[in-house]
Amino acid sequence: MQAESAIPARRRIFLHVLADPAVLVWVILAILVGCCAVASPLFLEPENLKNVFLVQSTGLGLATLAQAIVVLSGGIDLSVGAVLSLLTSLAAGLYRSHPGLHPLGVVVYLVALGAATGAVNGFVVVRMRVTPFMATLATMSLFQGAVLFYAPRTIGGIPRSYRFISDGTVAGVPFSILLFAVVLAACYTLLRENRLGRHIYAVGADPYVAGLSGISVRRTRFLAYLIAGVLVGIAASFMTARMGGGGPKVGVGYELDSITAVVIGGVSLAGGAGSLLGTYAGVLIIGVFYNLMNLLSVNAYLQIVLKGLVLVLAVSFYAKRRV
Amino acid sequence: MDPAPVLRLEGIRKGFPGVKALDGVSLELHRGEVHALVGENGAGKSTLMKILSGVYQADEGRILLNGAPVAFHSPHQAQLAGISIIYQEFSLIRGFDVTENVFLNREPTRWLGHLDRRTARERTRALLEEIGIELDVDRKVGELSVVQQQVVEIVKALSVTASVLIMDEPSAALTDKELKKLFEIIRALKARGVTVIYISHMLDEIFQIADRVTVLKDGRVVGTKPAAELDKDRLVRMMVGRSIEDYYPALAGDRGEPLLEVRGLGKRDQLSDVDFQLHRGEILGVAGMVGAGRNLLARCLLGLERPDRGQIRVRGQPFAPSGFGEAMAAGLGFIADDRKALGILGPMTVKENATVASLPSYLSLGFLRHAREASDTRSQVERLAIRAAGIGQTVETLSGGNQQKVLLARWLLREPEVFVISEPTRGIDVGAKAEIYRIMREATRAGKAILMISSELTEVIGMSDRILVMHAGRIQGTLDQRERRATEEEILSLAVGHVYSIRAGGAPHAG
Repeated sequence: MQAESAIPARRRIFLHVLADPAVLVWVILAILVGCCAVASPLFLEPENLKNVFLVQSTGLGLATLAQAIVVLSGGIDLSVGAVLSLLTSLAAGLYRSHPGLHPLGVVVYLVALGAATGAVNGFVVVRMRVTPFMATLATMSLFQGAVLFYAPRTIGGIPRSYRFISDGTVAGVPFSILLFAVVLAACYTLLRENRLGRHIYAVGADPYVAGLSGISVRRTRFLAYLIAGVLVGIAASFMTARMGGGGPKVGVGYELDSITAVVIGGVSLAGGAGSLLGTYAGVLIIGVFYNLMNLLSVNAYLQIVLKGLVLVLAVSFYAKRRV
Repeated sequence: MDPAPVLRLEGIRKGFPGVKALDGVSLELHRGEVHALVGENGAGKSTLMKILSGVYQADEGRILLNGAPVAFHSPHQAQLAGISIIYQEFSLIRGFDVTENVFLNREPTRWLGHLDRRTARERTRALLEEIGIELDVDRKVGELSVVQQQVVEIVKALSVTASVLIMDEPSAALTDKELKKLFEIIRALKARGVTVIYISHMLDEIFQIADRVTVLKDGRVVGTKPAAELDKDRLVRMMVGRSIEDYYPALAGDRGEPLLEVRGLGKRDQLSDVDFQLHRGEILGVAGMVGAGRNLLARCLLGLERPDRGQIRVRGQPFAPSGFGEAMAAGLGFIADDRKALGILGPMTVKENATVASLPSYLSLGFLRHAREASDTRSQVERLAIRAAGIGQTVETLSGGNQQKVLLARWLLREPEVFVISEPTRGIDVGAKAEIYRIMREATRAGKAILMISSELTEVIGMSDRILVMHAGRIQGTLDQRERRATEEEILSLAVGHVYSIRAGGAPHAG
């Protein structure tokens, strides 16, 4: 690279830019993509690229935005996966009893339910004063149990009209991409350009200082969970379309994957630091990682082992940098 | 004199369980003055300022701001009313930039809470200009120097049009040059009509910057005087002036060989050239203001911190502990000042707390010998007159004095040669205090040595055979009490950095 051989000052700037996690993850993603291209010729097939970067990443991407906002506020959400399973099942159940529903109505229904689950998490954390880890561990069980009680098996039968959300195109662009781009932009604006976003960062960085400045720490925390619930509702709307149904296993692994993506993306698990652009790269890294494993036909259970390894390495990497 | 004071405190009282922190404090602050607040540790300065800034609420009394009574329920309310406090530890978010910190929670916004960064930036720049400081408003606060962070705090206060600014030990972490800059800023604030309450242990600073001085002692106002009418000696005399109470046991008659020898001990610029010996049978008191380096000294001796320079010897053997375990093995014991956080195991029983430091001696073949544990604990409970329902009572349910005795029991069972005890009677009632003093003296009669760090002057004078007074990381002087008792005045004048010694025998580094 040119900068490497240039004058030292330039090199310092180069290293300084790299030290920003939001930049670093994109570099790591690029390197990973390069490795994939070398490891498997199939990787660069247009159909595969489209799958990895656009289609498969949307569900996890939406769920990870939810996770990122909660983590930035100083919390964590272990219930993401269970809520996804619950909401997709409820959507499929709704279609079974009312086949003629307009897709938009179903989306509104899911977003409202998502907001309700976020409110439950927020209530337990803020009003009942349970630590976020324990609170969402408990609600994870609550929501997972609820979906198994409601429908122990997968429910199918989502009509073609609804599947537009995952399969449709608008002027040649897949609708799912437009959906994700709009939601990402909204979240980015909320966090970077809005007063509430500033408060979310402040509460996550130092709740004591935030309180001394008159910010309502409890209200901010609650709103972070509420917004996360809305985002999970949107994620569930997409996944219902993509799966063509819903079931208790739809969201399995999403809590871990979303946390991993958030961590890889450089958001501090302690809260208050990190950006959504890094988070998005984190999502893509996980997508590429899964794709590579599949192309190389790595055993599915071994993939889970490797995923755990990646999470440990990412956390330890950032722990060293943030002494 | 001034017909309309900007702020008036009338008969402020505040109590905490077991302590009367403020006992009827009245105070008047004029517009645009720098008002210094001085007093020993525990005189009530911090409590008073916390009431003024809305952290605590007074039990009794009134606060009048511009003639109207006010009551603050949070620091934010006080801030909005124009009273801001700048703490020793800054309340800034390090990852946020200057502007974001200044306008935290008062962000200028457009529609739907959309941030108006430009307005915030411009207003921050204007405020900086007003006090004559150049600072990049986009820099992250974590990258700024201490005095720059202080500037951010000041600008934050000014941005809500502060009329009263409280500075709690603002100079603690500043270099001389930075201090000059701070004084310039304070003068600029004065010129704007802002009243500054300046809290400091450094008497020199007070004479440089203050217009008037109020002395607090034991939660009461000793007096308020124009700084021009005072000199250092008169000020120190106002700060002390209390006789030693009579419940202290007699001092040691004679002392044995040195158990602990410290030569040239230092760590960074926080601890320098510390020399002393601690002898068998002796209680060596360590006095000094908060931040004088007393705790760091203790931590270096106990292996909790690694000194950069100097040597320690224990019973003549070189000693460089790399952890507390090694210090314990060498015969040191430690009772920390924060009983709850660093002392007791709250949910565990008296017996478990008493034996935890000497468990190996209660093991046989890997099993705990409960009967011996119990009998040893019982004998300590009896000897120290610990009031507990039984040795099975959990320690968190005991009174502070009894908790402290359990900690003493823990170390008496272990039988270390050298005790380091920090604030032995903090927050303990008078009766239990006397008993703890008796136990400490008994231990030294049995041939132990005690290094006692204490912020209570009466305790230091009452208990110590010799007193080390620390200031700014150094031993400012050693006072030998075997000839005659030191006075609070002597200790305090050394502790605030007075160089000359009132007493012939008390020259720095005597011994």
